[in-house]
Amino acid sequence: MQAFPIAPCTLDAACESLRLEVREFIAQTLPNYPASERARSWTHGSAEFSLKLGARGWIGMTWPKAFGGHERSSLERYVVLEELLAAGAPVAHHWIADRQSGPLLMRFARPELAKRIVPAIARGELSFCIGMSEPDSGSDLAATRSKATLASNGWVLSGRKVWTSGAHRSQYMIGLFRSDSNPANKHAGLSQFLIDMKTPGITVRPIRNLVGEHDFNEVTFDDVELPHDCLIGEAGDGWKQVTAELAYERSGPERYLSSTQLVLEMLNAAGGTGSNERQEVELGRIVADYACLRQMSLGLAGMLARGENPAIAAALSKDQGALLEQRIPEVAYALFGDVERTRWPQLAQVMDYTKQASVSFSLRGGTREILRGMIARGLDLR
Amino acid sequence: MNAPDSDLQALIEDSAQRIFSENINRAMLEQFEQGELSASLSRLCGEAGFALTPVPERSGGVGGTWRDAWPVLYAAGQWNAPLPIAETMIANSLLSFAGIALPADDAPITIIEADARLQQEGEGAAVRLSGTAMQVPWARHCGHAVVVSRAEQASDPICHPVSVALVDLRQGKGVTITQMNNAANEPRDQLTFDSARCLRAQTAVGLGLARPVLQLGALARAMMISGALQQVLQMTVQYANERIQFGKPIGRNQAIQQQLALLAGEVGAAQMAARVATESWSAVAAAINAGQTVSAETTTQVAFDIAVAKVRAGQAAGAATSIVHQTHGAIGFTYEHMLHFSSRRLWSWRDDFGSASWWAQRLGRAAIAAGKEGFWPALTARSMNPL
Repeated sequence: MQAFPIAPCTLDAACESLRLEVREFIAQTLPNYPASERARSWTHGSAEFSLKLGARGWIGMTWPKAFGGHERSSLERYVVLEELLAAGAPVAHHWIADRQSGPLLMRFARPELAKRIVPAIARGELSFCIGMSEPDSGSDLAATRSKATLASNGWVLSGRKVWTSGAHRSQYMIGLFRSDSNPANKHAGLSQFLIDMKTPGITVRPIRNLVGEHDFNEVTFDDVELPHDCLIGEAGDGWKQVTAELAYERSGPERYLSSTQLVLEMLNAAGGTGSNERQEVELGRIVADYACLRQMSLGLAGMLARGENPAIAAALSKDQGALLEQRIPEVAYALFGDVERTRWPQLAQVMDYTKQASVSFSLRGGTREILRGMIARGLDLR
Repeated sequence: MNAPDSDLQALIEDSAQRIFSENINRAMLEQFEQGELSASLSRLCGEAGFALTPVPERSGGVGGTWRDAWPVLYAAGQWNAPLPIAETMIANSLLSFAGIALPADDAPITIIEADARLQQEGEGAAVRLSGTAMQVPWARHCGHAVVVSRAEQASDPICHPVSVALVDLRQGKGVTITQMNNAANEPRDQLTFDSARCLRAQTAVGLGLARPVLQLGALARAMMISGALQQVLQMTVQYANERIQFGKPIGRNQAIQQQLALLAGEVGAAQMAARVATESWSAVAAAINAGQTVSAETTTQVAFDIAVAKVRAGQAAGAATSIVHQTHGAIGFTYEHMLHFSSRRLWSWRDDFGSASWWAQRLGRAAIAAGKEGFWPALTARSMNPL
């Protein structure tokens, strides 16, 4: 027994030359992009930037050409993602659609519908949000109460979603609704829907986060009428479909790179002040964790590409990644908390921002406790 | 282990798991702590050729790769093998690289990196050693030591010329061994050489390692720590499922589950880093054995990967031992329970061949030198040189 092994994965020359193209693209597209913006990582977006990426063929990279994709390898896609994240590029506009909504639609939606929507995702035109959490259903996703009722000409949605990232800028939502109010068990009777956010009856209200940003929203559904073909997959298969997305959602490079701009600012300050041993040791530990998590994340990408479903290894990798992302601001304050802020304004700004944002890193995409519960089950505990 | 990469690796893994798991028991480990090596285990390991795994056949080795050595050293760590298998394996490899014939007897061989306190005089067959070497693993049980020092003309950062010397530790008056032990009661002796005669000394160029003993030692310990971590994880999960308190297995408590999940994460990360470093060095060693020249770029990647592996394994060793002991409670604090044979080794091995802090500081310096603009490119290219 080696618990949840991840096979090491190496990148070929094609991937490495693609990496240089991406770096060149970023240098040209985002010159003088401020550190305070880069620090927002994959939670900030630009519709314009996503269109440019789409034009380069770097969204929907692995998808079939019939769906507007580019039939590149998963590892090529991985390289593009990690380069964008390391640079702090504004990717939020298309991120969720590229990561999970597009693949979900191609796999489970009616083909005519998928063929209409997915190519627009690959062009970078569409932003998606994910309607899962509700006021009484956070980690306990199966407690979803928002209802989908079958009517003669389609479905009628009612209820309330919260913590919906990017709902205010998204054209579509993939929403999880209870389509059977009397199911055999709590995981049954859930269904996923493709929801056009312009549909009458949908109201989006901002929920500002503690940094003051507007990313979260509350989305209410008052008898929202959808046509039949907006049901994704079969009615009642929602739970199965949602859990199939999780390994993709949890293993990506965005699960360890969120505090990267702060690492860069620390390296800059350590170099500028003449580093001491303590700084070197702490930064060196971060380097080792970066190298290790990168190999884990890359290895998982390789396993997903081979059709394996390393759900527990992905949970483990995300848990380790969030620990690193949250340790970085703590290390920063320990090493540089007392620097003269007027002398190192960028470091101070990125440090304060990253510390505040970092509390969400072990919440989003499955809380630390939920992930560890999954890992514990995988260890055959309970 | 994952699926083996070759038939040879599968054979080696099967044989290492079988020999270690069937023969190493509490009695053997307790006798070892009294200073007694198991002759039967030594014989079995010798017959299996474990310490010859990555040594080419032309030097009398098995002709495998360092990737094939992973299952040997992983299993040695997993089962607390009380023998200097890693040290002898590294010594054999270095002798083979340097073109020095392996000693004819089958006694273990230790490895020494000479620092300023150990001087080499003379050339060829007339080389003599004077000075001291600290923390020499297993020296009292070894027939020979391989001593690596920087060659006189060592200024070429790519080829890393080093001098590899073979010393008979049982030559009598020139060699004094002061016995010292680490926390696991493994020998870490102090050696004093007084114009001790070297059997052979060769300058080796193009090893792909700036500090071969330190680097291969660190890699071997990362592999052994990977196996030991696996063992303590497995023991602890089993204990948590069997130990009943308040009418249920303690592993049903979320408090325990959360800790064991974190433990699995530490173990997984350390094993990943160790495997990557093994793959990295294995490819380079195979190229050198095939007579190819290794680029400076590749040399740096190996140095980076090994540093990462030692840092990550060292951190995991600390985090893991605290979780496994907390979960085991008082029984894990007894000498009678087997857990301490692993945890005491984990505490010892993490400090061998450069502690996590020692390697981290060097990685940190390289990252600071790369700077804000250079860090990410250097990380993806693995071009931060810790040495």
